[in-house]
Amino acid sequence: MGDVWNLVILDPILNGLIGLSDILGFGLAIIVLTIIVRAIMTPLTLKQMKSTKALQTMQPKMQELQKKYGKNQQKLQQEMSKLYKEAGVNPLGCLWPMLVQFPVWIALYQAIIKLVAATPENLLDLSRHLYSSQAISSAIPVGSQFLWLNLGQPDFVLGILVAGTMWVQQKMTTAPSIDPAQRQMSSMMLLMTPLMFGFFALMFPSGLALFWLVSNLIGIVIQYFLGGGWGYLKLRSTNMVPKGASK
Amino acid sequence: MKFKALVSFIVVFSLGLGMLGCVGQAGPQGFSGVTCQNGILYVGSMEGTVLAVNPTARSGELAFPSSANGEWRCETITLPAAGASCGPSFQTAGIYGTPAVGEELLYIGTYGGDKGKIYALVEATGADRWLYPRGAGFIGAIVGGIVVDDDTVYVSSSDGRVYALDMTYGDFKWKFEPPSVDKVDKLWTSPTIAGDTIYVSTYEGYLYALSAQDGSLLPWSFQAEAGLVSSPLVYKDTIFVGSFDRNLYAVKIGCDEPLWKFSAGNWFWATPLVNEDVVYAGCLDGKVYAINAETGEQLWEFDAESPVVCSPVLVGDLLVVAAESGNVYVVNSKTGDGERIKNPEEDNKPSIDAPIRASFCAHEGMVYIRGQDNCLYAIDVNQKEIDWNFSLTME
Repeated sequence: MGDVWNLVILDPILNGLIGLSDILGFGLAIIVLTIIVRAIMTPLTLKQMKSTKALQTMQPKMQELQKKYGKNQQKLQQEMSKLYKEAGVNPLGCLWPMLVQFPVWIALYQAIIKLVAATPENLLDLSRHLYSSQAISSAIPVGSQFLWLNLGQPDFVLGILVAGTMWVQQKMTTAPSIDPAQRQMSSMMLLMTPLMFGFFALMFPSGLALFWLVSNLIGIVIQYFLGGGWGYLKLRSTNMVPKGASK
Repeated sequence: MKFKALVSFIVVFSLGLGMLGCVGQAGPQGFSGVTCQNGILYVGSMEGTVLAVNPTARSGELAFPSSANGEWRCETITLPAAGASCGPSFQTAGIYGTPAVGEELLYIGTYGGDKGKIYALVEATGADRWLYPRGAGFIGAIVGGIVVDDDTVYVSSSDGRVYALDMTYGDFKWKFEPPSVDKVDKLWTSPTIAGDTIYVSTYEGYLYALSAQDGSLLPWSFQAEAGLVSSPLVYKDTIFVGSFDRNLYAVKIGCDEPLWKFSAGNWFWATPLVNEDVVYAGCLDGKVYAINAETGEQLWEFDAESPVVCSPVLVGDLLVVAAESGNVYVVNSKTGDGERIKNPEEDNKPSIDAPIRASFCAHEGMVYIRGQDNCLYAIDVNQKEIDWNFSLTME
């Protein structure tokens, strides 16, 4: 399984990143490859956004059904299915595009960690994944300097930027719930997840944090242009009804 | 509800941390080699300690440390943790370079992310003598070995510089910064001394010659087609060094073109060994090559079936080869015919049940190898068997 993973996903991404590093330098190569991968994934991202939006739009109706049939789970399920069918929405529709993208993000993450070669063990491990090509050989090991960053070491500023951009991206897409309990839960996650990734960014090589930062920025741009502006970021707390939801 | 949200966050956080941990960010483990001086073995452990081990005391299974037999273990060396950490603010130092022995002192370089220090310990007792830099300061992390010559110790560092220090007091003498450090700034190879000249190989593909007196750059340098991965070896007037382009270069000192290049299936990570005009080079493609030092012609190859990370060692006419799989082979240096050392417990297991990355040494027909299980193994080369093993883990 590990060999197949390396052959099909990890090694092409890793060697592609090395090839780009030879031309652009490692820092720019991370940015460009992240953009390329996100561009390839755009159809899936759009599909995911569409499904998520449709589900959010249906939320008031779903809550009505829950109130009405809350004590009869079987009836509730039937009515929910009917509702999904009428709206032409698959509740798992927002899940599978995310699942398809997940291995690619993992591979990109692995490729960056291996290429940063922060420890001698990482550098040794890198030798197992390289294509036999002069262009690849001459680009190894990649330089770790980019702007003020040593891409092999954690960076405080980048940690803050990762947390900040992740919060903005999440805030744009997280619909405030009408249910106070759910609202409290989602606002906690909205705060904690960026903090968590900010913390990771302070622990791991900044090459990886750069990848997260660029990925977040692209997510914000996609959301802004294709998802309808700043979305829920501009929504005031008093106006809790999600955009597009029928009252 | 707050409790539920908190639990959800902890679950997501743990999954995130687990995911990141699972997909490849392993911390530095260190692969310090073993060196032998006056019958005592010196080795750095994976716990950041340095030990003096007497083979006679170990084969006699005496309690460790047997100070009457010259054994000791120094305190765990710690360095400040890099970046944010949920653990302690100090981390155990990684030790990659083989300890170097000078007059009465033992030198060790430490690795702590972006920080490193050089420690000088009293050879007989393990007591601290000096450290560089003194106080709270650091130089870049140290991966290559320390070289001792005359009254000076030389070491290369991850900050891209070579440092020369007084061997007795640790006073700074000079430092050398390669002219082109904009691409790859770390020096993970060891400097090599030949006469009054120090040779340094860099990840940018340069071989530099420095004056041992003041660290000044001498007129000759050599540029390979790719970065140089191994430490240089000087034999007669030729330097042998491995490169990231999967070649072993032979470069006549003073020449701009290589004498020859020997191509293999992966990097020559380990410094080659030369004896009687034959170069023995272990390669990450799992083979050891015997090459004519003058012509670059292959004499034989031995397949160790796993990357060879550390340099082979000669014991008489026998070449001892350790593969990363844990297998150790005794190879006839003339013919390339080899025999695997058997695992004492199970025949189908590797000789040592742990990866081997650290350089090893030979003394009186025995070789001493530190495995990545943090154990020291003594192998009888003639008997082709493991004589004893000793855990370096502190209990």
